[in-house]
Amino acid sequence: MLKKEKEIKAIFIFIAVLFFMFLALPVFFVLIRSFQTDSGAVGFAQYVKMFSSKGFMTALWHSFAVAGTSGLVTVILAFILAYTVNNTDIHPKLKSAISVLTVFPMLLPTITYGFAIIYSFGKEGLITKLLGFAPFEIYGFKGLVMGYVIYTLPIAFLLINNTFQYIDKRFVIVSRIMGDNKLDTFLIACVRPMIGTLGAAFIQSFFLSFTDYGIPAAIGGEFNVIATTLYNEMLGSVPNFSNGAVVAIVMLVPSALSILLLNYLERFNFRYNKTTETELEKNIFRDIVLGTLSVIILICVLSVFLVIVIIPFVEMWPYKLQFSLTHIISLFTDSSMLNIYINSITAAVLTAIFGTLIAYGAALVTSRSKISNKCKQVIESIALVINTIPGMVLGIAFMFAFSGTPLRNSMFLIVMCNIIHFFSTPYLMMKNSLSKMNESWETTAMLMGDSWVKTIIRVVTPNAEYTILEVLSYYFVNAMVTISAIIFIVGAHTMVITTKIKELQHYAKFDDIFALSLLLLATNLVVKGIFALLSKRKKEN
Amino acid sequence: MKAFKKILSLTAALAIMGGVATGCGSSEQVVLYTNADDEAVTAMKNALDNNGYSGQYILQTFGTSELGGKLLAEGKNIEADLITMSSYYIDSAQEQSSMFLDLTFDHNTLTEYPSYYTPITCQEGAIIINTQALEAEGLDTPTCIKDLAKDEYSGKISIPDIAGSSTGWLLVQDVISAYDEEEAKEIMTDILKNAGPHLESSGSGPIKKVRAGEVPVAFGLRHQAVRDKNDGLPIDYVDPIEGNFSLTESIAVIDHGDDTNPLAMEMAECIIKNGRAELLETYPTPIYEGETADTEAESKYPKTFDEKLTVELLTEHKEFVDECR
Repeated sequence: MLKKEKEIKAIFIFIAVLFFMFLALPVFFVLIRSFQTDSGAVGFAQYVKMFSSKGFMTALWHSFAVAGTSGLVTVILAFILAYTVNNTDIHPKLKSAISVLTVFPMLLPTITYGFAIIYSFGKEGLITKLLGFAPFEIYGFKGLVMGYVIYTLPIAFLLINNTFQYIDKRFVIVSRIMGDNKLDTFLIACVRPMIGTLGAAFIQSFFLSFTDYGIPAAIGGEFNVIATTLYNEMLGSVPNFSNGAVVAIVMLVPSALSILLLNYLERFNFRYNKTTETELEKNIFRDIVLGTLSVIILICVLSVFLVIVIIPFVEMWPYKLQFSLTHIISLFTDSSMLNIYINSITAAVLTAIFGTLIAYGAALVTSRSKISNKCKQVIESIALVINTIPGMVLGIAFMFAFSGTPLRNSMFLIVMCNIIHFFSTPYLMMKNSLSKMNESWETTAMLMGDSWVKTIIRVVTPNAEYTILEVLSYYFVNAMVTISAIIFIVGAHTMVITTKIKELQHYAKFDDIFALSLLLLATNLVVKGIFALLSKRKKEN
Repeated sequence: MKAFKKILSLTAALAIMGGVATGCGSSEQVVLYTNADDEAVTAMKNALDNNGYSGQYILQTFGTSELGGKLLAEGKNIEADLITMSSYYIDSAQEQSSMFLDLTFDHNTLTEYPSYYTPITCQEGAIIINTQALEAEGLDTPTCIKDLAKDEYSGKISIPDIAGSSTGWLLVQDVISAYDEEEAKEIMTDILKNAGPHLESSGSGPIKKVRAGEVPVAFGLRHQAVRDKNDGLPIDYVDPIEGNFSLTESIAVIDHGDDTNPLAMEMAECIIKNGRAELLETYPTPIYEGETADTEAESKYPKTFDEKLTVELLTEHKEFVDECR
């Protein structure tokens, strides 16, 4: 027993030190900085200054308004989609198409959504041209809401869809027998058990929109939000790091509160003892209406991405519409572009490998060891805290902590930042999987004379392979599409695709922006495909 | 012990990863940061590549405000070995953190510049018009910046915003230098009102709107209008009587102490010696001895602002514009 604890303890110490160095310390620097003025005085002066500045308060209000509106719209749309998938008799193929296509935007960076919206609904946009008029003003509130809805719909859908599967549909029958009318039945048997999840989906969507930088960077226009304010204070024309630190802390507070609320809400989630498959009531009207609605929602979302596939292959949008491969060819023959692509892949692969190892190690500590509860709680709270820290704040924290050191602008920092930024979900996935396995494996193996390491490699790992593949793919895709944290870390040698897109924005080179996005999308699809094949094989074995 | 080995190797792997990644960062390649436009970037690349520096540098482009922010924030710690940037930013950065080396090569400029930079381009502001659109709207050709404040131009003009564009600053310099504070404020307020949704964050935004015919009148970079006119587009330009103010973008070498890459100074020289010919095609204002401009390229009312252009002055002028919004 003693020996096992030693190994687990070593892993624990390694993880604790890692997160202390790359999470606690950097964020602490931001906090300290926010209480310092440029002249070095310590106090609340910066906060007073920021909160009495009209521009900042407007941006803060904008952020709340836009993120709140998007959250609401997203939840309603996600509910319609999930309801269609779970509670109608539409064709199963259509159902799986809805499930797959809804999460498709996750494979693209948010900054691409912004540009895609401009090229769809702008004055020269594809959809504007098809319709003959611009449906709405894209710069500012409406464009942002649209971008955020597209961005957060996949997550909201996954959450709601998941809960739907645990709702016992027999309650519908009970409600009908009790003589409730249709609306009451719907509210009692479907909406009420969903309240917790709907709240969670709203908060999650709010949090993501509140802290996203990619979409406002593309279409915020004159409509400032807190994310653009933060960027301008840190990397704008007249940077003021103390102001930036204050904005970062102000961004952190609602984010932290919303995630804590999320954890609190989780306790109120309905749990049915068991769910049974019941036949749905036949209702063609319902099927047609919901099926059509869902298809329309998906067409609206996906039509925005149509331009990504079209514009790189057009000679000069919107003036010369001939098919042309010039953009694609010049992209692949430009050696600097190739370097950027290699950087992106390197960052994503390293993030996936080391991120998975660290998440695995952390999950081993909390779910397969007898280490003291205090140690387990340390890891649990790391996972919780990380969830509340916006990417931009983490990026700025890294900037404060590592500028002037040899690590600055390095690939190592980018990978570390990604590993930490996305740690929560992989950790929870690993923990879930490991804690379901038989607790006595390690003991049995040890009695048989196997070392702990051998047991982990020979017994535990093969059983967790499916989850490991999921975690690898999660880390990879997220590292490919992220921008908000690493925009503060990348250097000339470590440019990745998303930060290059931000750079190309200055030259309005949208053909290149979309060509790069397409390349990124293709890479993600290929990698996802490979992982899907691997796990399918695993299952068949 | 095996677990320790595992952890040890993991740590080592992470360390190696860090080492490799940072190792790449400090390789011999010169890092060139620039805020230049596409044409200027191409000219610089050609100058370097045609003179044997191909593959020995990495060129990284930024928006003016982002690169400016980086210079002020990072000082000597900046990753770049060599920069090209709006001169006023180089001045401010030098004053703040003496981060540039004196140039060691000969460069005979027509006017005098500080020892630590020398211009690569000079860009002037002017009023730009779409002659067809102007006629279709039945508008008079404006002759001065003050004209743009008139009611008849409401919704018909596009200007760059000083908040994100140094071209926007050229317009503000016109207004502030020619009129007293009270009048300047009125004019600026009316111009902003007239521009409405056509207030652009990029310096080349307004001319794009004029080309597309979305507005008949704009303020922008003079050389772009000259080129469009020569290309046969229905574009013309007006030198405002308040003056054609100009901004230079310059090249400077960062002082990294003992780590200074000697190639950086060589490349700076190469860009000035071999790049100017191509740069002059796009930015026709002469800067160096022996350079000539055709008459069309010369503006009628070249002018420089009374005070030295600095980031502080820019901030002041930004605040002035903010009060007019």
